Amino acid sequence: MPPRKKRTYATENEPETSSKRLCSKKSADSGFSVKRCTTWFNNYCAENDGSIGPDGIERFCKDLGVEPENIIMLVLAYRMDAKDMGYFTLNEWIKGMTYLQCDCIEKLNNKFDLLNASLSDPVTFKNVYRFAFDFSLENGNRSLDKPTAIALMTLLLDGRWSLFNEFVQFLEQSKFRGINKDQWYNVYEFSRHILPDLSNYDEDGAWPVLLDEFVEWYQQHLSKTSEVGVSI
Amino acid sequence: MSGISKGGKKDTKMRIRAFPITMDEKYVNNIWALLKNAIQEIQKKNNSGLSFEELYRNAYTMVLHKHGEKLYTGLREVVTEHLINKVRVEVVDALRNNFLQVLNSAWNDHQTSMVMIRDILMYMDRVYVQQNNVENVYNLGLMIFRDQIIRFPLVHSHLRDTLLTMVAKERKGEVVDRGSVKNACKMLMILGIDSRSVYEEDFEKPFLIQSAEFYRLESEKFLAENSASVYIKKVEARILEEAERATHYLDKSTEEPIVKVLEDELIRKHMKTIVEMENSGVVHMLKNNKSEDLACMYKLFCRVPDGLRTMCDCISAYLREQGKALVTEDDNGTNAITFIQSLLDLKDRFDHFLHESFSNDRLFKQMISSDFEHFINLNPRSPEYLSLFIDDRLRKGVKGMSEQEIENVLDKSMVLFRFLQEKDVFERYYKQHLAKRLLLNKSVSDDSEKNMISKLKTECGCQFTSKLEGMFKDMTVSNTIMEEFKHHLQQSVTNLNGVELYVRVLTTGFWPFQSSLSKCNMPSAPNMAFEAFRRFYLGKHSGRQLSLQPQHGSADLHATFFGIKRANTGPMDLVDEGAASSSGKSLRRHIIQVSTYHMVILMLFNKKESWSYDEIKNETDIPERDLMRALQSLALGKITQRVLSKDPKTKDIEASHMFTVNDQFTSKLFRVKIQSVATKGDTEPERNETRNKVDEDRKHEIEAAIVRIMKARKRLQHNVLVAEVTEQLKARFLPSPVVIKKRIEGLIEREYLSRTAEDRKIYTYVA
Repeated sequence: MPPRKKRTYATENEPETSSKRLCSKKSADSGFSVKRCTTWFNNYCAENDGSIGPDGIERFCKDLGVEPENIIMLVLAYRMDAKDMGYFTLNEWIKGMTYLQCDCIEKLNNKFDLLNASLSDPVTFKNVYRFAFDFSLENGNRSLDKPTAIALMTLLLDGRWSLFNEFVQFLEQSKFRGINKDQWYNVYEFSRHILPDLSNYDEDGAWPVLLDEFVEWYQQHLSKTSEVGVSI
Repeated sequence: MSGISKGGKKDTKMRIRAFPITMDEKYVNNIWALLKNAIQEIQKKNNSGLSFEELYRNAYTMVLHKHGEKLYTGLREVVTEHLINKVRVEVVDALRNNFLQVLNSAWNDHQTSMVMIRDILMYMDRVYVQQNNVENVYNLGLMIFRDQIIRFPLVHSHLRDTLLTMVAKERKGEVVDRGSVKNACKMLMILGIDSRSVYEEDFEKPFLIQSAEFYRLESEKFLAENSASVYIKKVEARILEEAERATHYLDKSTEEPIVKVLEDELIRKHMKTIVEMENSGVVHMLKNNKSEDLACMYKLFCRVPDGLRTMCDCISAYLREQGKALVTEDDNGTNAITFIQSLLDLKDRFDHFLHESFSNDRLFKQMISSDFEHFINLNPRSPEYLSLFIDDRLRKGVKGMSEQEIENVLDKSMVLFRFLQEKDVFERYYKQHLAKRLLLNKSVSDDSEKNMISKLKTECGCQFTSKLEGMFKDMTVSNTIMEEFKHHLQQSVTNLNGVELYVRVLTTGFWPFQSSLSKCNMPSAPNMAFEAFRRFYLGKHSGRQLSLQPQHGSADLHATFFGIKRANTGPMDLVDEGAASSSGKSLRRHIIQVSTYHMVILMLFNKKESWSYDEIKNETDIPERDLMRALQSLALGKITQRVLSKDPKTKDIEASHMFTVNDQFTSKLFRVKIQSVATKGDTEPERNETRNKVDEDRKHEIEAAIVRIMKARKRLQHNVLVAEVTEQLKARFLPSPVVIKKRIEGLIEREYLSRTAEDRKIYTYVA
């Protein structure tokens, strides 16, 4: 742990103040402090629950300057190894913030670009992607319902997969009512390994039936639109 | 010449001691001149004046004194000169005139003289020839003859042409001098010395080429003019002819190549044409049962590679077409019995051909099997129909068939069973039909039933038949229990109120019924009787549960019909004798044989005269569909079946319609059986239901197979897993790879399997 520096202002006595005041330029340059982190956490805590709830998260996001649906939040949750979407416990908070070495908003802001950049690393991205599924699952379910799945997928894959829009289109008109973990994982694998023209897709590739049907649908879709002379 | 002393003892050979005296040139030349002269005399056929012994001795001397070479060379010259200047001239002269005879006699003369010459020069053969590795005398003579006479261009070509022309003539049917051809061929064979190369090059090769051409033309002509069967017979005849020709006057070794040429030209090149000939080819033969013609064709086509395959393909196409026509559903509705019977007949027909014409050839056998397998599975109802067919055969009252005949039919049905891909569908239907047979007591004999089951067991193993056997056991056990029950009744003097009860106890797992979803309100009399039985049974077997199955079972009811409508019509069967007799002849009594549901409904009319549909429904609690059916058969069937009347007299049934006893009911029979409206075989919705159940079962079987395999193998690649599953299940049905994949995904979701991290195509078993 970095050495603690003495601070001149009292932070513990004003739990309701905006977190911006917690971090002055001075402390932004100082090392990581668990205590400060905890205080920061308590700022968003809901009641005496001991964890940050949806309201707290909303405030947190506002302070951070991002919408709650931003992918950064997912990355953060991943680093925290958070269990439930919409809730952070103290332990999770500490875990994640310690990893990032952030105990106040400013430090976190500085890390923004780093966090975004980390998604370019395929390993990190894959882990975040996979984490997102379990994170979004409601208790006891084995699959995400279609709208949730599509929303989550949009967050993660829109712009990173050329066939993404077509896949969503397919999903929406299909009879599948949800996505289970195996399908979720394989969608990502598919997006990484299969070329946009599907030339290296093979039927014996042990892809889930969902993806086999997507390929079929897409090929029909292609021939239909090419007949009409519309460019995709 | 110095003296040559003879050897000591007299024996068969002359032993002459070697004499180491050298000879001078002149002496040698003299000897040679002598020999030369002798040779020439021999060649002129003037050998009578020669002394064999003297000549031999001279030759011997020469060789002995190392002049073998001179002798050899000289011999060669003499022979060559003779052949060129004398013999060849003669032969050439005779080119247009008795050529073969002249040639032949020249050859014979040559052979004779060479033999004699060889005899004289035998010592040279033994010693000089051996030591110097040159041809012996006789062979030398052959070679010279060959080179100077036979291979002389004029002779060579003329000989060949002559021979070929003669063969051609004979083929056209003319008579030719076979002897001279034979001699010529023999000569050529001998001239090859240790090989047949002379014969082959000078005669056989051009012969084969000519023959090929000849038969090429002939085949085209024949084909154009003749039907397939006639053509085949002609081909057979030609083959025999050529074989005989080779044996008799060509060289025997030519038989094989010439037959091959024929086979090639006459058969192989026209296989398809022959087979597919309109109105006479294979299809025609099959249609008209020409087993003999087919047998001829088979024998003939055996000779060429792919000949049988060509036949087989054509037959297969025809068979598939026939089969397909048989299994395609008629718009008028398909009768299961005729469906299966026609398939059996087709199989019989083709087995007959297999036996009579194709001598049980394995290729044809396999073709028939695979074709049957192909088209029988084109119709998804085949398993159901097969079960119905067998059901029909096993029922009572199949007249005119002995045990043996029934056995045969069942065996043949088993053959069709083997072709079915969806054996699990068959199993389901067979269970249903067997249950009906057993419960309605319709089997023709228990033995036939058990026989059939053991056949199925041999085919499919115990799992298939264990439940069927269970059903049988239940029947036997029920009989025993009824005996005991009767005994019990007598002993305990229990009164069943005049109800004669017969109970069959069925073990739930064995029988294909839905366990009682259907409850209904039993009338009191049968209900009490049943309760008596229940008490008895549970007394013997505690811990079991008995539930009455009202959708099965039957009842015989005593029914009294009053002809005229009277003001106070009493309930049906409680009228006392007095009142009955006073109403006179219009009173009719019958015994009605009905189903349980019918009984429940009819007995209502003991309480009240008329009932509405709704009231009946509420009172009996019979499920709607069954109630409809029951009322239809009671009130809306044939006139001779209408025990009830409905008001209004429409064809449909609505909640408010009223039912009363049809007192006008008449029948010629005392015992009237009320038919159920049920159809034989499944209706459309029933079929779908069965199909759904089958699909459900299959899902479980596939998953069980997957888990079993993965548990044993721990890690498997996707394709291998799919292949293994298919292999394990194919005895019951053919699962599609897509369905298997879906089941794998289901198992992944439920965490029985997972994909390995390194390769998503490999699954591992999750313990």
